[in-house]
Amino acid sequence: MTVPVEWYVALSAILFSIGALGVLMRRNAIIIFMSVELMLNAANLLFVAFSRYLGNLDGQVLVFFVITVAAAEVAVGLALIVVIFRTKQSINIDEINLMKG
Amino acid sequence: MGLLTIVTFLPLLGIIWILLQDKEKDDERVKGIALGTSIVTFIATLVVLALYDKSEAGLQLVDRASWIPAWGIEYHMGVDGLSILHILLTSFISMLAIASSFPVIKQQVKQYYSFLLALEIGMMGVFLAQDLFLFYIFWEFTLVPMYFLIGIWGGKDRVYASIKFFLYTMAGSLLMLLAILYMGITNGTFSVPDLIAGRAAFASAQNLLFVGFAIAFAIKVPVFPFHSWLPDAHTQAPTAGSIILAGVLLKMGTYGFVRFNLPLFPEASAHYAPTIAVLAIIGIIYGAIVSFAQRDVKKLVAYSSISHLGFVMLGIFSLNAQGIQGGILQGINHGISTGALFFIVGIIYEQRHTREISEFGGVWIAMPVYSVLSLIVVLSSMGLPGLNGFVGEFTILLGSIGAASLGPNAWIYTAFATTGVILAAVYLLWMFQRVFMGPLDNPENKKLRDINKGELAIMLAFLLFIFWIGIAPSGYFALMDASVAELVNTVSSAVAALH
Amino acid sequence: MNAFALAPLVLGLPILGVLFNGFVGRRFVEADRSVGEKWSGWAASIMALSAFVIVVLLFFSLQANGHHAEIVPMMDWISIPSANFHIPWAMQIDTLSVTMMLVVTGVGSLIHIYAIGYMHGDPNFSRFFTYLNLFLFFMLILVSGNNYLMLFVGWEGVGLCSFLLIGFWFDRTNEKGEAMNANAARKAFVANRVGDLAMILAMSLTFWTFGTLTFSPVFDSAVEMFHSGEMVHFGAFSASLGGVLTAITALFLVGATGKSAQIPLFVWLPDAMAGPTPVSALIHAATMVTSGIYLIVRSNVLFEIVRESHALVFGVISSPDLVALIGALTAVYAGLIAFTQFDIKKVLAYSTVSQLGFMIAAVGMGAYVAGMFHLITHAFFKALLFMGSGSVIHGMEHGHHHIAHKHGHGHDDHHDHFDPQDMRTMGGLRHHMPTTFWTYLVGSLALAGIVPLAGFWSKDEILAHASANSGGINTVVYALLTVAAFCTAFYMARQVKMVFFGAPRHKAAEHAHESPRTMTVPLVILAILAIGGGLLNFPNFGAEAAHGEETAVVEDTHATEAEADDHAAESDSHAATEADDHAAETDTHAAEGASGGINLALEHWLEHSIASFHLTEEGVVHMPHTPTSLQVPVAAISSVLAIIAIAVAYFVVYGSRPKTADERDPLQATPIWWMAVLPLNTLYMDYLIPAFNRLAEWAAHTLDWAFWHDFVHDNIIRNIFVGFANFASNVLDAQGVDGIVNGSGSVTRWLANQIRRSQTGYARNYALSVFLGTVVLLAYFLFMAR
Repeated sequence: MTVPVEWYVALSAILFSIGALGVLMRRNAIIIFMSVELMLNAANLLFVAFSRYLGNLDGQVLVFFVITVAAAEVAVGLALIVVIFRTKQSINIDEINLMKG
Repeated sequence: MGLLTIVTFLPLLGIIWILLQDKEKDDERVKGIALGTSIVTFIATLVVLALYDKSEAGLQLVDRASWIPAWGIEYHMGVDGLSILHILLTSFISMLAIASSFPVIKQQVKQYYSFLLALEIGMMGVFLAQDLFLFYIFWEFTLVPMYFLIGIWGGKDRVYASIKFFLYTMAGSLLMLLAILYMGITNGTFSVPDLIAGRAAFASAQNLLFVGFAIAFAIKVPVFPFHSWLPDAHTQAPTAGSIILAGVLLKMGTYGFVRFNLPLFPEASAHYAPTIAVLAIIGIIYGAIVSFAQRDVKKLVAYSSISHLGFVMLGIFSLNAQGIQGGILQGINHGISTGALFFIVGIIYEQRHTREISEFGGVWIAMPVYSVLSLIVVLSSMGLPGLNGFVGEFTILLGSIGAASLGPNAWIYTAFATTGVILAAVYLLWMFQRVFMGPLDNPENKKLRDINKGELAIMLAFLLFIFWIGIAPSGYFALMDASVAELVNTVSSAVAALH
Repeated sequence: MNAFALAPLVLGLPILGVLFNGFVGRRFVEADRSVGEKWSGWAASIMALSAFVIVVLLFFSLQANGHHAEIVPMMDWISIPSANFHIPWAMQIDTLSVTMMLVVTGVGSLIHIYAIGYMHGDPNFSRFFTYLNLFLFFMLILVSGNNYLMLFVGWEGVGLCSFLLIGFWFDRTNEKGEAMNANAARKAFVANRVGDLAMILAMSLTFWTFGTLTFSPVFDSAVEMFHSGEMVHFGAFSASLGGVLTAITALFLVGATGKSAQIPLFVWLPDAMAGPTPVSALIHAATMVTSGIYLIVRSNVLFEIVRESHALVFGVISSPDLVALIGALTAVYAGLIAFTQFDIKKVLAYSTVSQLGFMIAAVGMGAYVAGMFHLITHAFFKALLFMGSGSVIHGMEHGHHHIAHKHGHGHDDHHDHFDPQDMRTMGGLRHHMPTTFWTYLVGSLALAGIVPLAGFWSKDEILAHASANSGGINTVVYALLTVAAFCTAFYMARQVKMVFFGAPRHKAAEHAHESPRTMTVPLVILAILAIGGGLLNFPNFGAEAAHGEETAVVEDTHATEAEADDHAAESDSHAATEADDHAAETDTHAAEGASGGINLALEHWLEHSIASFHLTEEGVVHMPHTPTSLQVPVAAISSVLAIIAIAVAYFVVYGSRPKTADERDPLQATPIWWMAVLPLNTLYMDYLIPAFNRLAEWAAHTLDWAFWHDFVHDNIIRNIFVGFANFASNVLDAQGVDGIVNGSGSVTRWLANQIRRSQTGYARNYALSVFLGTVVLLAYFLFMAR
């Protein structure tokens, strides 16, 4: 039996919501990062699901791009977090509010 | 890209090159680049001269391209008999002005030479532009470098002088801009030859248009009574600035009259000729009298320019071949002689840091070579036959006495103008006597050193033309003869119609 | 033989001298004084002598080609094709210009040589010779140019050289600390420029009337237009030919009054004596000052046409008559002033002015040959007198030097204001300076017009012309000139008496001694010329001695002359012998005795250049005729007057006076002394020039600077502008424009403050807003966009 595509969409929506809430609510930068990853993978899941459902490979190709970009993003982001930690001795993002108007 | 464009914008290459030099370190190289650029430009103008066909009256080596087609504005450059001598003068004087600054300018060297070269672009453009809009841009552009040259490297009251210079000339040009726009809009083109051909379209307004142009040019010349900016600008400007100001910038005014006022508004020119002649003659006499009483050598030379330019204006508004050719040549002569006079004043100012006539006396004993050269230049400025000044002065007076534009009493105008010949001797010899003759009794003056090799080279360049134009000026007249003949043709019918 | 191709060398050689002395002479002199001075001085003198030799060659060439004027073109000068204006550099070699060139180079060479001695030891020795050569160059251009403009080049050029040479010792000051030499130089130049103004106007009118400035075309078309009665039209101007020519000739006269030191512009010449004496001899006696006469002789056709057309200057007097009158008045006036002078050179200067008056009067009356004749003889004896006076000054200076040395170096000589030119300090010099004395005496007698010296013949010819053509202005001129001749004899006798006779009145005069050879040899040569110069234009005797009916005489001589001319033209051999005679005589300057064939030699020579002669024959004009034979009554009157004047001066007025240097002059009690005040000079120097200075000061500092520059521009224009700007910025801008601008500004600021609160700086908040935004957008697309 095949799992209908709606389920994948629902799962993906749940995963994305969890990720989004994590980004908004957590104060630890690392966790925010993981939440961002969660949102990205929710999107990946949708790509793959629709790719299978529509019968062409475009979505799966895009997933590879997303994964690559995510890896790069994580690398840059972690580097930034390391630098911030060195200067602030903390990765609590509430203490990083230089852009306050 | 035509030759004239290259000639005009050659100094731009020099400017770029200068600006690429290291800060403050390479003053010597900057000087070299500036002089080199100006020499190349001079040679380029000689190439223009070589390619120029003096038998042809119209514009030559024309460089024409559409620029802002919607308004009929074009990039239009060309040379004819009216401008060929002026561009040669420009490149020649710029070259000498740059060379003369070497020992003088020690601060902000890069900027200084960049401004001088920029000024050369502007002046060249003024003499070559054949589109009124383009002309106006170049005309206004020359103000900027000159403003900075006076304002940064000038004397004690340099800021006052530079602002006055800027405002005065700027204010004059506004009416000209209105006139230009009016003509451009009525005819749908700004190209001078096309406007001359289509001048019927604005003939009814030509008196007003004439005045619009005339005020701009009269301030530049300067015609009495618009001369008040001149003594300030001249005395405050650095030597090279004065040389260029007297040598070339003032000629932009007289050139403007010949290039635009006469052919575009011949009837108005004939109508206003007596008025302008009267102003010119007042200028001749007034300038001379005022020079006589000056205590500062540079100011004396500045006022003498008013007198000399009065002759030029009188010649131009004789509206005949002798007068106009004499006027143009006298403009060139004035550029050379007065440029040389400013250079002479600069040499002695560098040593004594004063220009008060009463500080000097007996300089001939301390500086014999310098004094003899100065005497020759003074004589040339006085119009001694055999030197350049006389040729221009005599042809002008010849023109004015036979000028139909001045009516049957032209000889009265001429008689008054000729008193300038006496007055020139009076004020120049009085100055010469007080500076160079008499006993050498000021101990400061005993320390003066005579002219050095570099200064001598510049002086000899001036003297070459002083003698050349004085002894064999035919070649110079031949260059402008065809163009002036055509201009006189246009104007003389208007004069005939008036009388 | 044809030497015309060499003519440009006449101009080139002096220029070569100028270049030599100007560039290297100074180094020669500085390196080794005695040798360097020789090089420098002789280089200049040789240039002058070589020019003289070439002129002599030109003279022969002119003889050979039948006295035809030869034009030697050199190059183009001013050429404006579309205005049909062409002026060449070209020389006109004709009898007139060659005569002038002979005088200029001949006397000039002698003066060059003389100056080698005179200027010995001067620190600027080579500069002096540079100027002398430059002067020769310009003077030769003046007399040899073939057009008026070239004449004018020389005209101004000699003025320049005069300026340079008068101001040669430009650093000398008088007791008051005024630079007198420099002042005198400037005065000369400016006075000459007044004349030049007239010249420029005259030339301009000439060009428009005749379409050219070249001599012969101008004269030809003048005659043609006069014939046809054509009006003159140019520009918007038209007038009769007579009127225009009257203006031109009157302007030429003004030019001549400047250059030839006539009333009212003669005031510069006495001051010019501040220059070195060779300069006074060359420029201010023999050559430059005669250019006015040359100009009028050259333009004789124009003057004769004016005489013929009866046009008047301001409706009062015809221009040739005006010329004659000015000349005669100057002759008397300057002659009287000469009475009152104590400076040896100033006496000569006024004498020169007076003699120039004779020449001007002569050419004004139409006696062109007589004027030229007097010009030549005057060049001889006045150069002689000036050089003699230079020799005297030189001797006095040496005498003064001598006593200064004898008294040792103890006291300062600078406080001793000894003037070596003051005649009152001289006396008895005939014993100390015999050569100078004898030559000076010859010069004085020649100038005074004593038979048979040169001055007698030339002066008498002028007087004879005036009396023969009496009537109208000529009667007045004759009377004035006779008085002037009397004055001449008087002041020369006074001078000779004061300088050479009596006892020395100053120690310097006691110790004066004769000058070196380079100075005395030229004196002797000139003395010979001053004795024999009369032979140049020796009159006939007896042919028309009787003072018969005026017209008959004129017609008679007319006939003889025409006959003589025909004769000369017919017979080549005759012309050749005549030519030989000319040559011999000019070459040796007529030192040889007279033979019948050379009578009126100058007249026969010059008539080839003075077109009025043949125009008179043709009847176009009627040039007044000069008697060709000696007019015994005229000669007798002037001779007797001269002798009386000399006797009165020598025996009566200055019989035993002056005895001491500070004695009053006997004339000081008479009204003549009033002349010493020099009304004209006072008018210029004390009224006109101070008035001009005040005008200039006022114009420059009050009118132009305080009023126009400071008040009008800096106050009125700037204040109006600044006032408007203040109004604009404080009233219009602050309350009007600013109100709007500031209002909108503060609204913006309030808004910004509100919005700023949203910027917490927490990344999370930004993310939330992005998220909410996305939700809103999605909601919009989902529910609203349908």
